[in-house]
Amino acid sequence: MKANNSVQGKDLGLCRCDDCGQINNTTESCCLRCGAKLQLRDYNSLQRSWALLITAAILLVPANLYPITTLTKSGRVTHDTIFSGILRLVHSDMLPIAVIVFTASILVPWLKIIGLGIYLSAISFNLKFSKKKLMLGFHLIEWIGRWSMLDLFVISLTVALVNMGQLLDAKPAPAATAFALVILFTQVSAKVLDTRLLWDQLEQQDDAN
Amino acid sequence: MTQIEQPKVVRKKLFSPVWLLPIVALALGAWLGVKSIRESGIDVRIHFPSATGIDVGKTLVRYQGLNVGKVVDVSIDDELKGVNVDLLMDYRAEPLLRANSKFWLVTPKASITGVEGLDALFSGNYIGLLPGDGDFRDHFEAEQEAPPVLPGSDGLVIELSAEKLGSLDVGSPVFYRQIPVGEVVSYRLDPQHKVLLKAYIEKQYATLVRKDSHFWNVSGVQIDASLSGIKVNTASLASLIAGGINFSSPVSSPAAEANQGYKLYASQQEANGGVRFVLTAKDADGIKRGTDVIYRGVTIGEVENVVAESQSVSIHTRLDAPYAELLGSDAKFWREGADISLNGFKHAGRLVSGDVIQFLPGNGSPLAQYPLANTAPRLEHETPIMLTLTAAENPGISSGADIRYRQVSIGKIAQVRLADDFSAVLYQAEIFPEFKALLTAGSDFIAEAPLDIKASLDGVEVKSGDLTTLTKGVVSLRHSLNKKALNTAKPIALFASASKADAFYQQGHKIKWTLYSDDAASVTTGSPVYYKKMQVGTVTDVDWQATADRFAVTLAIDSTFAPLLKNNIVFWQNPALAVDASLTGVKLQMAPLNGVLKGSIALAKLDGHKVDSQRLYHSESLARSQAQAISLLLPADSSLRTGAAIRYQGTQIGEVTQVVLNADLKHLDAKAYLYGKYAAPFLKRDSQYQLQQAQVTLKGVEHPEALLTGAFIAATPGNASDNSTQFTVPRLTDDYMAKDALHLLLSRNTLGSVKNGTGIFFRGIQIGQIIDYRLKDNGDEVLLNASIAARYRHLLNQSSRFYDLSGIKVDLGLFSGAQIETGSLETILAGGIGVVTELNNQQAAPLNASQTLPVYGKADADWLQWRPQLSE
Repeated sequence: MKANNSVQGKDLGLCRCDDCGQINNTTESCCLRCGAKLQLRDYNSLQRSWALLITAAILLVPANLYPITTLTKSGRVTHDTIFSGILRLVHSDMLPIAVIVFTASILVPWLKIIGLGIYLSAISFNLKFSKKKLMLGFHLIEWIGRWSMLDLFVISLTVALVNMGQLLDAKPAPAATAFALVILFTQVSAKVLDTRLLWDQLEQQDDAN
Repeated sequence: MTQIEQPKVVRKKLFSPVWLLPIVALALGAWLGVKSIRESGIDVRIHFPSATGIDVGKTLVRYQGLNVGKVVDVSIDDELKGVNVDLLMDYRAEPLLRANSKFWLVTPKASITGVEGLDALFSGNYIGLLPGDGDFRDHFEAEQEAPPVLPGSDGLVIELSAEKLGSLDVGSPVFYRQIPVGEVVSYRLDPQHKVLLKAYIEKQYATLVRKDSHFWNVSGVQIDASLSGIKVNTASLASLIAGGINFSSPVSSPAAEANQGYKLYASQQEANGGVRFVLTAKDADGIKRGTDVIYRGVTIGEVENVVAESQSVSIHTRLDAPYAELLGSDAKFWREGADISLNGFKHAGRLVSGDVIQFLPGNGSPLAQYPLANTAPRLEHETPIMLTLTAAENPGISSGADIRYRQVSIGKIAQVRLADDFSAVLYQAEIFPEFKALLTAGSDFIAEAPLDIKASLDGVEVKSGDLTTLTKGVVSLRHSLNKKALNTAKPIALFASASKADAFYQQGHKIKWTLYSDDAASVTTGSPVYYKKMQVGTVTDVDWQATADRFAVTLAIDSTFAPLLKNNIVFWQNPALAVDASLTGVKLQMAPLNGVLKGSIALAKLDGHKVDSQRLYHSESLARSQAQAISLLLPADSSLRTGAAIRYQGTQIGEVTQVVLNADLKHLDAKAYLYGKYAAPFLKRDSQYQLQQAQVTLKGVEHPEALLTGAFIAATPGNASDNSTQFTVPRLTDDYMAKDALHLLLSRNTLGSVKNGTGIFFRGIQIGQIIDYRLKDNGDEVLLNASIAARYRHLLNQSSRFYDLSGIKVDLGLFSGAQIETGSLETILAGGIGVVTELNNQQAAPLNASQTLPVYGKADADWLQWRPQLSE
C-alpha cells in the first residue's frame, strides 16, 4: 500500500511547476505553460529556510526580553514584556486571556521555531523521525502559525484605541517589532522551504523501513 | 531543439544571500544586548527615614522631569531606623551621583502658594534629585524636603534685604507686573539683623531685573477702606497668604548681576523713591504714619514717620517720585480732615483714614523742612474781603459758617469772638473776592434760621436751610441795589432774622403809637393793625403797667399812614369772629385770618368831636361810639354775660364787656361801656341799672330779645349833678322778694296746686307770691310762706280773708244750673291764692308778720262784695 502510494513525480519523469502547478516532463527546463524555470527539487530553499529560521530565533530573544508595550497610566509609565504582560493578566484574574496570549505570543512562536528547526534538521541531517508525527506537526504548525499574530493584533488595536495622553496611553515598544519580525520570519521560513525535500526524506525513510 | 546551447555551468554559491538576515539579526541582537548591558544602570542606595509613598518598581527618580531611575528595592536598614531604598539609575545619570547630590521624596503638596508635585498626584510619588559636586557616590541620605534652590536653576538669584520678613516665606512668588517670575528661595538674618532673602528669578525673566530695580513687598492685603468704598489691593491670592514681592525696573538700567543685593521696600510707594522731607507742626493730631499727602485730590506722598521733638513734632514725609519736582522752597503744607457737616460728608473717607496733608506746590529748590499749617494757606491772588459783623447776641453762627447770597456760598465766618468790652459779638467774615460787587452799602447780613416754620391758615410752610445751617449756622447776605460800596471798615450789624432786619429798618419809618387797654386784648407782638381791613402796622409791644393795672400796647404804624393818624381815630380789638345776633338775624363778621390767629387791632376815623385815641376799645361799636367805661356790681346769681346790652327804653346805649365773679363770691363785677353819645345822663350818680331777663309767663313773654341775647341791663338816667362810673345793679326780683315785703304764714289743709311762685291776687292783681311752703310740725296742715309786696301791704289787715283760686270751680245744681268759676288762665294752670279785705285800715289792725292766716277753700259770695276804702 505504501509502495503504491509513494511513487514520486521525479520517478515518473514528471516535474511540477512551482508557479502554476503544471506538470511537465523533467526534460523540460521551463514550464510549458507559464515559462517559469522548472526545478525538480529546490535544494537552496533549505538554506534559505534555515537562514530565516535562525534570524527568527535570534529575534525571539529581544522580542521576549524587551518590553512589547509602553503603557502610560495616569502619568506613570510601565513597560511590559510579553511575559510580564501575561503575568499581569494572570494577576488580574484573567486566566483564559492569559492562556490565549501565552499560546499566541510565547507557545506558538517557540513551537514554530522548534518545529521548523526539527524539520530542517531532519532534511539537512537525515534525522530519523516518524513520518506520521512529522506530518501531524507540520499541519499543526501551518495551522497555528497564523494565530501568533494575535499579540501584535491586540497591540495595534490597543495603540489605536487607547490614546488619552498622560492619563492612559499605550504604545508599542521595541519588542513589538522584534516579535513581528519573529512571526514574519518564521512564516516566510516555513513558506520558502521546498517541502518536497521533506517528503523525499520521509520516502527514503519509509523505503528504508 | 536543433541548436543546443552550451550549458552554462553555474558554480553553486556556498551561501545564499539570505544568510545576511540572521547575521543582521544577530548583529542587531548583539547590539541591543550590549546596549542593554551598558545601559543597565547604576545601583544607588538611599537611606530614607520611612518608606511611606515609595513603591518598588513604581517610584521613579526624576530629574528635571526626566526619569533617571527607579526604585528596585526597599529594605529596612540595619539599625531599624529607616529604610534603604535601592535605585536603579539610568546609566546616563552617573554625573548626577556625586557626593553632594541630594535626594528627596516628592509627594503631592497643595498649599496656598501652589500645588507642588501635581504630577506626583498622577504618577505617584517620585524621588527628586538635585545634583551636587564631589566624587561619585552611590549611597545617600535622603533630604527631609526639597532643597530650597530649584534644581537646575540657571535663572538669576538676587538678594533682598528687608526690615522684617512680613508674611514672606520660602516659595513666596516674585512678581513682575503681576506675573510670577520667580520665588523666594531662602531667608536668613544677616549680622545687621536685617532679613536677607534670596530670590530666584527664572531664566526667561532674569533680564527684567535691572541694577536699579526696586523691590517691594506686596504681602497680604492692602485694604483701603473708606466711605467711598473699600478697595482691596492684593497682588494675587497666593501673595495674600504667602506674601509676595513685586518689582519694577527702569528700562535704561543695565541688567542685574547674580546675587546682587537690593533693598526690599515695604510698599510700592516707598520703593518708587521720591523726595523726603520733614514737616514740623505743634502736634501730630490726626497725622500718623501713612497719612496721605494730597495735591488736587491725588495722593502724591505719605507720612513715613512721626517723631515727637521737644517742642514740636517732626513729620517725616515723602513725596512720590513723579511729584517730587512739585516741591519747591515755597511749597505749602497744611492738614485737612474730614469735613462732616450736615450738608454732607466731605472727604468722608478721612474719617477712616484720618487727616490728610494738603500740598500746594512751590517754586525753587526743595527744602528739607516745611511747616505744617493747620489751615489752608491764603492764596495771594485770592485774598478775601474781610468784614467785621456785629450782633448783640450770637444767633447761632459759629466759626466756619457759610456766608451765602441766594444760597450760594460767597464767603465764610472765620472767627467768632466777643468784643473787647464784651458788649457785642464780633464775627470775622471773609467774602471771596469774586463776590465783592455784592457788598454794597445797605446790604444786610442776616443769620438764617435753620428752621423757619410759617404756619398760617394758608397752610404750613416749613423752610429749612440745608443741614449746615443747623450746625454752624449760615449768614445770608441781603444785597441792596445801592451802588455805593459797603464800608468794610466799620462793623456791620448781623441781624438774627430777616424780620429783625426789616424791623430795624422800618423802625425809622414807622410811627409809634401807644394804646392803653384794661386787658392784653389778645394781641401779641406782631399782631396786625388794620385800617379798613388793610394792614397799616403791627403791634410791637404789649406791656403791663403795674401802677395803673393796665396794658400798654405799642403799635408801629407804617409811615405811609401818618396822615391817618392825624385824624380823630379810635382803636379797637378786632374780633376774630363778630356775631351780631339779634331777632332781626345773625350777622357774622370775620376778621382777616392773620388777625384771627394773632389777634388784631383795627382803627377807624371818627369825624367830629374829639375822641380818645389812646384807648383800645373792646369792639368796634364801642370804639366808634367813644364808649364810656363803667363798672357794675351785680348779684352773684345774675345770669349776665359778656356782651350783654345796656338798654334804655329798648335802645342799646352800651354793652357789658366783661363779667367776673367777685372775690366775695356774692357779686359779679361787670365792666361795661356806655356809648359816647348816650353816656352823659347815665353816668349821673343816681342812674339806675337793672338786670332784665326774658320772662315767659302765661301772660306773655317779657323782654323776648333777652331770650336770644341773654339778660340785659336796663338803665335809667339820673339827675344828680355829679357823675359816677360805679353802679350797683339790684337783684332781679319782683317786689315780693324785697326786704320790706310783708311776710305772712298761710295755713291750708293740703298743698293743692300751690307751689313756689304761686301768686297772691287781690282783685285779680298779683300782690305777692308764695315763696315757700312746708308741712306744719304736727302735720295737721300745710304752712305757706307768703310774701306781699311792700307797696301792697296796706291792702291787707286783720280783716283780710285768703281763699283758694286754684283751678276751675264748677257748681252743678239741678235748679241753679252750671256755674263755672275760673280765675285767670294763669291761676287755672298755676293755681293762685286770692285775698279780700273786709274793713278799712282804721277799722282793722294791720297784719303782723309771721301771723298765720287760714286759706279758705272758696270765697264766700259776700266776700267779693267787700269794698273797703284802703289807704296807706
